[in-house]
Amino acid sequence: MAKTAGKKQVPIYCYQCVSGPDLLKVEVENGVATRIESNWDIRTQHPGGGRVCVKAYGLIQKTYNPNRVKQPMKRTNPKKGRGEDPGFVPISWTEAFDIVGEKLRGLRAMGLTDESGFPRLAVSTGGGGTPVQYMGTWPAFLAAWGNLDQGFGAGQGVKCYHSEHLYGELWHRAFIVSPDTPYVNYIINCGNNVEASGGVAGVWREADARVRGCKRVQVEPHLSITGAASAEWVPIRPKTDAAFLFGLIHRILHERKWEQVCDLSYLKERTNSPYLVGPNGWFLRDPTTEKPLIYDLADGKAKAHDAAIAQPALTGSFKVPGIEIGPDGKRWTHETAEAQPSFQRMLDHMQPFNSDWASEECGVPAATIRRIADEFVAAACIGETIEIEGRKLPFRPVAVMLGKGVCNGWGAYQCVWSQKILAILMGALEVPGGTLGTAVKLVRPAVSRVGSVLPGVDGFMQYQFNETSAGGWMRSPHIRNAYRTLVPLVSDSPWSPALGPAHLPWLFLKHQPENWPRTTVPGVWFCYRTNPAISSWNAPEIANRLAEFPFIVAFAYTDDETNHFADVLLPESTDLESTQLIRIGSTKFTEQFWKHEGWAIRQPAVEPVNDTRDMTDIATELARQCGILGEYVEAINGGAAGTSLRDREGRFDYSLEPSVPPERDDIWNRICAAASDDLSHGEEVHDLAWFRENGFMLRPFPQLDWYLYPALERQKLRFELPYQERLTRHGQQLAHRLKEIGVTWWDRQLTEYEFLPGYERYADIWVDYVSDAGRDPKDYPLWALTARSMQYSWGANVGLPIINEVANNISGHRGVIVNRSAAKKMGIAEGDEVVIESVSGMTEGKAVLREGIRPDTVLMIGQFDHWKTPYAKDLKLPSLNSLTDISLKLTDGTGSGADLMRVRLYKASDRHLHAGLR
Amino acid sequence: MNAAAHIPRWGMVVDINSCVGCQTCTVACKHANDTLPGVQWRRVLDVETGEFPDVERLFLVTGCQHCAEPPCVPVCPTGATSQREDGLVVQDYDICIGCAYCAVACPYQARTIAHDQRWYYGQETVQERAVEHADRLGVAQKCSFCKDRVDDGLARGLTPGVDPEATPACSAACIAQAIHFGDFKNPESNVSRLVRDRPNFQLNAELGTDPQIRYLYTTPAVPGRAAGAAELDEERLSDLANPLVGPVQTLWDWRAAMNWIFGGIGSGMAVAAWLVSYAGVVAVRNVPVVHAISAVLMAIGLFCVFLKIGRKLRFWRAASRPQTSWMTREIYVVAAFYPVVLADLVSPGEWLSLAGGVLAFAFLVCQAKILHRARGIPAWRVPLVPWMIVASGLLEGTCLLAIVLLWLQSVDRIAPLLALTGLALAALNAALWFAYRITAAKQGVVPLARSVISGISPALHVLGHGLPAFSFYLVLENSGMALAWMLTGAVAAIACGVYWKFMIVVRGGYQQGYAMPMLPQRGSGCFAAPPRL
Repeated sequence: MAKTAGKKQVPIYCYQCVSGPDLLKVEVENGVATRIESNWDIRTQHPGGGRVCVKAYGLIQKTYNPNRVKQPMKRTNPKKGRGEDPGFVPISWTEAFDIVGEKLRGLRAMGLTDESGFPRLAVSTGGGGTPVQYMGTWPAFLAAWGNLDQGFGAGQGVKCYHSEHLYGELWHRAFIVSPDTPYVNYIINCGNNVEASGGVAGVWREADARVRGCKRVQVEPHLSITGAASAEWVPIRPKTDAAFLFGLIHRILHERKWEQVCDLSYLKERTNSPYLVGPNGWFLRDPTTEKPLIYDLADGKAKAHDAAIAQPALTGSFKVPGIEIGPDGKRWTHETAEAQPSFQRMLDHMQPFNSDWASEECGVPAATIRRIADEFVAAACIGETIEIEGRKLPFRPVAVMLGKGVCNGWGAYQCVWSQKILAILMGALEVPGGTLGTAVKLVRPAVSRVGSVLPGVDGFMQYQFNETSAGGWMRSPHIRNAYRTLVPLVSDSPWSPALGPAHLPWLFLKHQPENWPRTTVPGVWFCYRTNPAISSWNAPEIANRLAEFPFIVAFAYTDDETNHFADVLLPESTDLESTQLIRIGSTKFTEQFWKHEGWAIRQPAVEPVNDTRDMTDIATELARQCGILGEYVEAINGGAAGTSLRDREGRFDYSLEPSVPPERDDIWNRICAAASDDLSHGEEVHDLAWFRENGFMLRPFPQLDWYLYPALERQKLRFELPYQERLTRHGQQLAHRLKEIGVTWWDRQLTEYEFLPGYERYADIWVDYVSDAGRDPKDYPLWALTARSMQYSWGANVGLPIINEVANNISGHRGVIVNRSAAKKMGIAEGDEVVIESVSGMTEGKAVLREGIRPDTVLMIGQFDHWKTPYAKDLKLPSLNSLTDISLKLTDGTGSGADLMRVRLYKASDRHLHAGLR
Repeated sequence: MNAAAHIPRWGMVVDINSCVGCQTCTVACKHANDTLPGVQWRRVLDVETGEFPDVERLFLVTGCQHCAEPPCVPVCPTGATSQREDGLVVQDYDICIGCAYCAVACPYQARTIAHDQRWYYGQETVQERAVEHADRLGVAQKCSFCKDRVDDGLARGLTPGVDPEATPACSAACIAQAIHFGDFKNPESNVSRLVRDRPNFQLNAELGTDPQIRYLYTTPAVPGRAAGAAELDEERLSDLANPLVGPVQTLWDWRAAMNWIFGGIGSGMAVAAWLVSYAGVVAVRNVPVVHAISAVLMAIGLFCVFLKIGRKLRFWRAASRPQTSWMTREIYVVAAFYPVVLADLVSPGEWLSLAGGVLAFAFLVCQAKILHRARGIPAWRVPLVPWMIVASGLLEGTCLLAIVLLWLQSVDRIAPLLALTGLALAALNAALWFAYRITAAKQGVVPLARSVISGISPALHVLGHGLPAFSFYLVLENSGMALAWMLTGAVAAIACGVYWKFMIVVRGGYQQGYAMPMLPQRGSGCFAAPPRL
């Protein structure tokens, strides 16, 4: 379109998904936002060419959606339930603040925690942390409030890469994993749908890699978008990826000459492979220093791991003295112990898992498993180096990626461990071309992965487990999901509550576990940019629980299935209407590997369309209402809204006066100044007006910081792989603690703590779940899975017709994908209305027949089954969330499930024939 | 290169291995061009080929191919569709009458007509009102390669295909760098380099359109393969859920069919009346009367077409392109035919009747060519179709003439010649239809259209060819009940003429679909890329 004088372009960012932000410009004409286009000003620095993805183009319809909640509302029907009309009536902002303020003041008057010791105020947000990019100074309000419960999940766990998050951070600061896509040449990808969920940078870099010649093998039950774009698709039985990966490891360790094909120096120097393991399974340690020992073949002596060791032994069995330290300080002193290097233990451990065995388990031909392992080895370039910013580093262009469903729920630990093992065998963890982490969420400092590489125990990186010792264990959980009590690995960062067993509060509200504080409903529950009554596993059950919450405040966009139960709706000004400054660049998920870092602004491109408020204004007013204004302002000053307004070293101070309710623009003006000052070390200080004009500010970020290897090498640290001594110690200590208080319902989860992960038929857990429900597994012969959609994932955009229109060009967005031949056998034709039913729920939709799916699997893309959200409820789309069950049996040791279920599928017209089974 | 003299040839190169079907291009196009709900100038198909466990899936970027030999341009009766020097096929919304001829001539499903303003939420939003384009309602629309961005960019000294502001929105927005835009005439341009360095193909290249979107299908890991049995599977090519399969066109509906039906009968009768007048079967003085009846029938057909066009008040613009458009030529013929018939009625004369007959035949030929030149519809563009239209028009016209004459004159006088003519024409029509049906696959008629053709063939042969021929034979044999047999044969032939035209235009008008001669070799089983050891 020809640009005319009356138009302006307003720079903002889109952070509707975890792969953001993408920077864009909104074209505004006569006060109306008309079009979206990428912000080309950043195209040379942004790892995705500065472009925005499909979801960003929905922002205009999101703004002008006639179904928006147009002013604050209050509930007039005290009865809550799916079938109850809430009777929302419009109220003024003054009345809304008065109602909510009175409730909050009441909570504070009663005390922040209730009789069970749980916070009376609970807050849930959704979308993998994306709400933070929209909530302005709301985090400062939460910080000012004090003790609150952020552990009511909205799908966390089953909807994320849960085990990868936790183990990934422990092992290589990898909350999310990515190949080093610009250099990688061979990727084994078990179900990671990066082309749908990797955002602009992911799609851009992966496409570049393909054109360059990178080969990706996609291993998954259905041919996803990512599978489609891969050189090879390997159909695999759901939940058997661990067998496939074990098969690959076996091929390398036992069928190839591992001494010739593995990176021996990497294994010896950067992993715990040479650490000796004593007869009880614990590291054999020096009795004096308690340092783990390594056997030096050069002189036949065991030495501390950090000593000068000429020839560390990886294999063999040695008679050496030493001590073992088990759980709760239990010690074994050996005059002469038969000890083996961890690597030898792993060799022995992997012996049974050959390709033929793996093939039986996972349905992938043994020859294919062997060939993929051989291709992986052939592509690893062991011995080669590459120069990055003047520094010579190992070059290992091979990577293994895992998807949701593979790296969460039972069997995920085995997969994540295998992923790292395949990487370390090739010396390909955290080096150019290899498997990298992108962001940290559990360790600190949050803004620097490399900065988080600090020396810890036994020559490994520091990692703060939640205490499991008798004296340190948190016996009474401080929030309802009990992450500090039940999951040592999840640590205790601001992200930990959401990464704990976030479904447990919902479950425990219905089924109170034995010997456990009574799970109470929160006095007030805030929900922000989340819809757990749709997005959680077993979403219908969440709706039932929400109906029991006495007071819900929803920051509402439109009516939806969660705010249907709310008492007050507070409509926020959305993406194009409000202000925030956020950090961009460096490395973050999914494939945002930048050579810059800095800050970008979101600003009102248009005046609010309705009587909505900026979240910052809402936070300020609620802080005032609660009498915590001073704490709130101090929290802003301390960095709760993005960056500290005071420099720790006293170089600058832009802090707000705590006694005065701050004005929104004043807050952001100061944040802009502090952020730019900090970034430029005082060279360039910019105010809000500057950011509004220019959109963003950048400084170089070293590519070397994409890789942890240099930091580990510099500090002589090792990856805590392959042997899991520390983890197992925590597991056994936790077992002791739980036994002490009579908790047995977490016993199964405790089995996940192993020195080296074993294998069981994880898929059978879901099959057995059918039996446990008193049904015949034969009646539920199919696997139901889900997959992310580039058009919808995290976007909270199901109510936007333009997104629906373009999403419908991609198969599966209109119903449930069924294998064509399997459907034919069932007499089901394209477009037939079908029912999908599990032992715990059912959902309905149209059959979409495809060849790219195993006959034993059906697939529902995204999260639908809406019954309240305008527009979306008319789409009549099925959802896996209506079929999955929240259950301890389906919860793994890290506190997550996996997003799949055993189901049966039949034509809706045959409903009467199946009624007897329900 | 002499920049002043250089005239670019804009085109695109789409890398199938880069595209992930994210729909960013589609929605970016919608933003840049303010298209209505459901209108997608840039559409990306989700294609699956093969059968589990040997499956390949890919995403195919479609839209106007800005063909070097665009079939839409010559058919346009108004000049609204034209090709610029730089190759862009552009649409002038202020001239277009919305006849949809260009849409059925396009073998890439690139064109559409939106007759009414539509709102995404079912109700107006301030943004949609701000970007509405009333000039686009009721007229043909399609991708313009964002000509305004290209032209404005050039005017600002930018390079289309390099500078995003000067590049079509889809290409500039593509997050996989799958859509490259540039100047094929500049050997150093990105697109020229890509097609020089990497194997590529054009969609539906066999149609001779020389489309200016070229598709890359290989990478160092993905070798590419020729289309094979999996891609030719008739069952999959008959599945409308398969996006490669063209759906039936809906722009030329029953109203368009009526033009061939009434126009064919009317013009056929006019030709027949004029011809048989030389044999004395029709009194020369009656020829103008018959021609007048023909004129009325043809007018009904034309009125039906008039009802169909999007911008009725501009219908006169359809007279603009006699050089190339058979639709314009039809109008010219009509414009001559009606005065001649009127003059012949007022002042009968042999030469006027001759002129009427010749013009009627010309009208029939125009109709035949109009359908034939709709190259986007395989069932219409095969070489036999114009012959079938003419032969059927003559048969139906002869039969209607017989009925009219039976009303005016005794059966004995007209029977021998008309029955003989009818018999011959029925045989000719039967032969043409038979040949049409058995050569349809070879001629590239798509399976769904072939099934329509096959489906109506028995009835057509028996009732439309056999029964008339048998009836006329009995009339010639003087086996009695000549009037009844004559009427039976005539009515059956006309009814079946109406039937097949309706069926071929309305039901058999399946669009071309997309044939990919080459595909990436990626997927599972036999489609998987080769090992790399």
